[in-house]
Amino acid sequence: MSTWHSALHGIRSSGDYFLSTFMFGIMFGIAAAASGLEHWQALLMSASVFTASGQFAALEFWQAPLPLGTIALSVFLVSTRNILLGMAMTHHFDGHSLGRRIVWLYMLNDPGVVTSFRQDDSVDRLGYVTGYGLSMMTSWLCSTFIGLSTAQLFAAFDLGAIDFAGPLVIATMMMLFFKASKSPPIPWVVSGIVALVLFEIGSANYLILLGSVLAGMVTAIVQALRAYA
Amino acid sequence: MLDQQTTLIAIAMMALIVYLTRMTGYFIGLQLRHIRGVQPVLEALPGCAFMAILAPAVRQGSLSEIVAMTCVIVIMWRSNNVVVATGVGMAVLLFGGPWLDG
Repeated sequence: MSTWHSALHGIRSSGDYFLSTFMFGIMFGIAAAASGLEHWQALLMSASVFTASGQFAALEFWQAPLPLGTIALSVFLVSTRNILLGMAMTHHFDGHSLGRRIVWLYMLNDPGVVTSFRQDDSVDRLGYVTGYGLSMMTSWLCSTFIGLSTAQLFAAFDLGAIDFAGPLVIATMMMLFFKASKSPPIPWVVSGIVALVLFEIGSANYLILLGSVLAGMVTAIVQALRAYA
Repeated sequence: MLDQQTTLIAIAMMALIVYLTRMTGYFIGLQLRHIRGVQPVLEALPGCAFMAILAPAVRQGSLSEIVAMTCVIVIMWRSNNVVVATGVGMAVLLFGGPWLDG
């Protein structure tokens, strides 16, 4: 399948997460309006940053004077999973020029990467993930605009109950990942256990992420060594 | 009220940071790819990150959040339908919250 056909396939496959992204975009638009961002500024942020978790994290600190260092650190910490997503795609973006890979990596997105592992080998992964990302971007921008435009209607509602929507969407991706995996899920189980232990002893969020990913990585290395022994 | 210049600087900084995280992982992976057997290790990493987020979230979740998470997992296990799973989970949070959490 050519790159362009794979990109179209990515767009067509993205319906499920288009809707959940749309819901988050509306919430982001409402939150951005409440934080005092002008419409064009919030839309510029959604178009250029293109990450729900990072943008929500930044809004937590969005007040004068803007604490740029704190915002940078929090955006970096919640975006560190992008590093892992990029590493996971290392063997799947071959056959393209370096320039194209550098530019198209801008569209790297969690559901695109996760669902790409479910595609057969004929699909060009870079095209697929980019097409998926274009669809997510469209959803994200349209819904941010709707959220900004309708923010006043939601001012009276308590949206606190849907704070947990993020983990729910991550759980859907985890399940897709789990079901598409060809190897036993032991690294993920170890990661989960280590994350729980670190959480129980009161570790900071970045230490929980770092510790559990390291533990999962070591387990995956041991698993790979055994497979090759 | 924030001045426009500071806001634009903040947005540009955020965009750069997020883009660099997207690119860095891929280029780290390129440096490691010659190692035999590294591919399954790299491909396991996003799942580890998801678990690092999910496990503490569930541990500190309220009853309605745990029920919502259970519904999502069961529906995904049976059907792979993201829309139904997320919709049911959200419905549990919105409508079951006051009832389950008291």
